[in-house]
Amino acid sequence: MKIAKSVEHPNYIQVFATFAKNSLIRNMMFRTNFVLESISSASWALMNVGFYLIVFEHTNSIGRDTGWEKYEFFVFLGTTWLINAIVQAFFMPNAEEFSELIRTGGLDFALLKPIDTQFLVSFRKVEWSSLANVLFGLVLLAYGVSHLVGRSTHPWQIEPITWLLYPVFVFCGVTILYSLMTCLAATSIWLGRNQTLYDFWFYITNFSRYPSEIYETGWGLPLWGIFTFAIPVLVVVNVPARLLAQPLTPRSPSEWALAAYTLLATVASLLASRWVFQRALRSYRSASS
Amino acid sequence: MAIIEIEQLSKSYRVYQKREGLSSAIRGLWRRQYREVDAVRSIDLRVEQGEFVAFLGPNGAGKTTTLKLLSGVIYPTSGTARVMGYVPWERSNEYRRRFALVMGQKNQLWWDLPAQESFRLHQQIYRIELEQFKKTLAELTDLLSVGELLGRPVRELSLGERMKMELIAALLHSPEVLFLDEPTIGLDVVAQHNIQQFLKYYQQQRQITILLTSHYMKDVAALCRRVVVITSGAIKYDGSLVGVIDKFSGSKILRLLLAAGQSSDGLERFAEVESIDLPKVVLRCRRGEIPKMLSSILQQYQIEDVAVEDPPLEQVIANLFEHAASDSSNQVSL
Repeated sequence: MKIAKSVEHPNYIQVFATFAKNSLIRNMMFRTNFVLESISSASWALMNVGFYLIVFEHTNSIGRDTGWEKYEFFVFLGTTWLINAIVQAFFMPNAEEFSELIRTGGLDFALLKPIDTQFLVSFRKVEWSSLANVLFGLVLLAYGVSHLVGRSTHPWQIEPITWLLYPVFVFCGVTILYSLMTCLAATSIWLGRNQTLYDFWFYITNFSRYPSEIYETGWGLPLWGIFTFAIPVLVVVNVPARLLAQPLTPRSPSEWALAAYTLLATVASLLASRWVFQRALRSYRSASS
Repeated sequence: MAIIEIEQLSKSYRVYQKREGLSSAIRGLWRRQYREVDAVRSIDLRVEQGEFVAFLGPNGAGKTTTLKLLSGVIYPTSGTARVMGYVPWERSNEYRRRFALVMGQKNQLWWDLPAQESFRLHQQIYRIELEQFKKTLAELTDLLSVGELLGRPVRELSLGERMKMELIAALLHSPEVLFLDEPTIGLDVVAQHNIQQFLKYYQQQRQITILLTSHYMKDVAALCRRVVVITSGAIKYDGSLVGVIDKFSGSKILRLLLAAGQSSDGLERFAEVESIDLPKVVLRCRRGEIPKMLSSILQQYQIEDVAVEDPPLEQVIANLFEHAASDSSNQVSL
């Protein structure tokens, strides 16, 4: 008896909705924890903004003639928060859990289910309290953009196409970070345990938090090269943020090339993460019961 | 065609050989000794549709590894296996929709949520028709009498209740093949009995194929006609449960009730004395010598009653395992 093709695959959107719902019920169950987490991430966000306000007391611009003045940079910061908060809400809890599943042998059950294993492992949990940061990122973004549009000298207009491209590149950024995180998490299959996951993640993504111009001189160049082409974390925030923080025209051809490269890098990272994940599963030994 | 066909299936692991002490731990940082552990060695097995087969063996014998191989959770080192025509480790959705694995030591339900939320998720992942899902769930909760527990967070359930929920989760999609890895471990006698009864009933109703591993002889005796004994990764016996005794126990137990005033002196000449609690005496002797020995004893002693028995199954199995453990050898390589 042959089952129709449509029946072979579960409805991924519906399954994801149930994951999100179950996570919400779970988050709500530990109410105080939920509130505390939201407060703690909100205060971290405020401190972060405070820090950059102090920086801009001392200087007008991040780097000379880079175009990253205070409000442009707030757009950058808003984008950083937005992307990181999305990653933290959807992928961080799952990557941590993945390590744990491998160590305890709980991955067995994920492998039994008639559903894509990478999907199941990547989307099982949603950390709803991190969505507060998404909101915060959006507020910061709105604040920065409204100042740029409303300022008296060189006010600029945002073209409709920008509003279309921005989400696309935010999505690309999230996907690149997701892929990187999946590759890191998958190494726990070979290492048995990967506690440095968090640290390593922090070291690498730290480079994505600043405008890429600051790396484009002197000994910063090799860093720029590595984090653009080998581990493309520099394009994650830079490309969408630049799109919104600077007028669409004029742009140098190199910027368009970088945008095109970002699309390519997104697809490549996703494929790489899938490859690493599949390889890792082949080596899975399953902890003894 | 057999529903499960296993040929020459092997699985070995390379494990880091850790030595004692700090200095060797430091040496281990750059020079490690690995040991090749053969968890499963070239197993051949055929199981027909509708069979209920038990895997018996001491800890580390390879029972669980075999079930994991058949579930496609791990890849074999060599050999082939087919379950309902599928190669398990290809992990096709079609195959995964048709079998289930339950592990007594691991749980798959969302710990903080009521079991019904996990069941709902299963319904979506396995694409079970809603009507069918409701019907199956009602039937299973009724059989296991856990209906009122569906809304309670899993972490608040007792071990026995949780195991029942795990079983329900595994059976919601009506698998045709079921692998049970120590489903009654750690349960009290009542809970064990309930699960046994349920499994027996369910298997008879549905005529599904079940492979079970368990350390409880009661499980095995109650459920399985066919027993496969695995020790050190290899199959040592495949047949009926009573056959285990015939094959692995060369001895018989002889119970004597001596007549009043009859002394038991000298009985040790005939056979090994297990216990003396006058007027009862228990002797153990080789199977083939029973008739000769019995007639000599009956001639020389006043006997009221005689019973010849097989040694208890548990004892036979324990001896079998001990025997296997002493001659098992794992290759050590540097």
